[in-house]
Amino acid sequence: MKVRVKYFASFRDMTGKMEESLEVPEGITVEGLREHIKGLYDKMARRNQVLVAVNGAFVPLETVVREGDNVAFFPPVSGG
Amino acid sequence: MIRVQREDVDIDAVLEAVKSDKSGCVVSFLGTVRDTSEGRSVQRMSIEVYEEMAVKQLSMIREEALERFGVNEVVVVHRYGDLEVGDSIVYIGVSAGHREEAFQACKYVIDELKERVPLWKKEYTGDGEVWVEGDRRE
Repeated sequence: MKVRVKYFASFRDMTGKMEESLEVPEGITVEGLREHIKGLYDKMARRNQVLVAVNGAFVPLETVVREGDNVAFFPPVSGG
Repeated sequence: MIRVQREDVDIDAVLEAVKSDKSGCVVSFLGTVRDTSEGRSVQRMSIEVYEEMAVKQLSMIREEALERFGVNEVVVVHRYGDLEVGDSIVYIGVSAGHREEAFQACKYVIDELKERVPLWKKEYTGDGEVWVEGDRRE
């Protein structure tokens, strides 16, 4: 299945992409998708803190990702 | 009122939006661009946002503050894009019957914003460009 993945801030620099569509196995969890992406990008693999949001909300890492979900990866936030 | 915008904050207009006759005060917080960061001089800043999520997160924080502290109104305006030293970054306004709950709610909103609203600062310093990253853990 295909999922839409966005990258923000330093992660956009590390991947060289704002977003991409990834082919992943059905039933993959948020944590599984994060590992998949760390496998694609060395610089991401070296990061301790990789935050994930699904459809604009923080979700538990064991959440199953569905076809068509919008998943975002980003470093700890620094607004305010 | 929750706004994520490129334009400067119209503080007078936001104050009008947060004030109410049933409130005895407005407590506000204005975050601005500082000219130093961790020993480096900062020349300017840019802020990136995941806008759709930022608006959702700010709306949740606003609801939590209204409920938890019993205040009358909470407004948040956060800017993104290119900013100069001294520019406004974020304005939070809270109106309430009394000051105690207004101060508490205002502090709650800025503390939560810094933990869970997807915004990132990039500082342009004498040593080059630096992404600022918070310390939220999973």
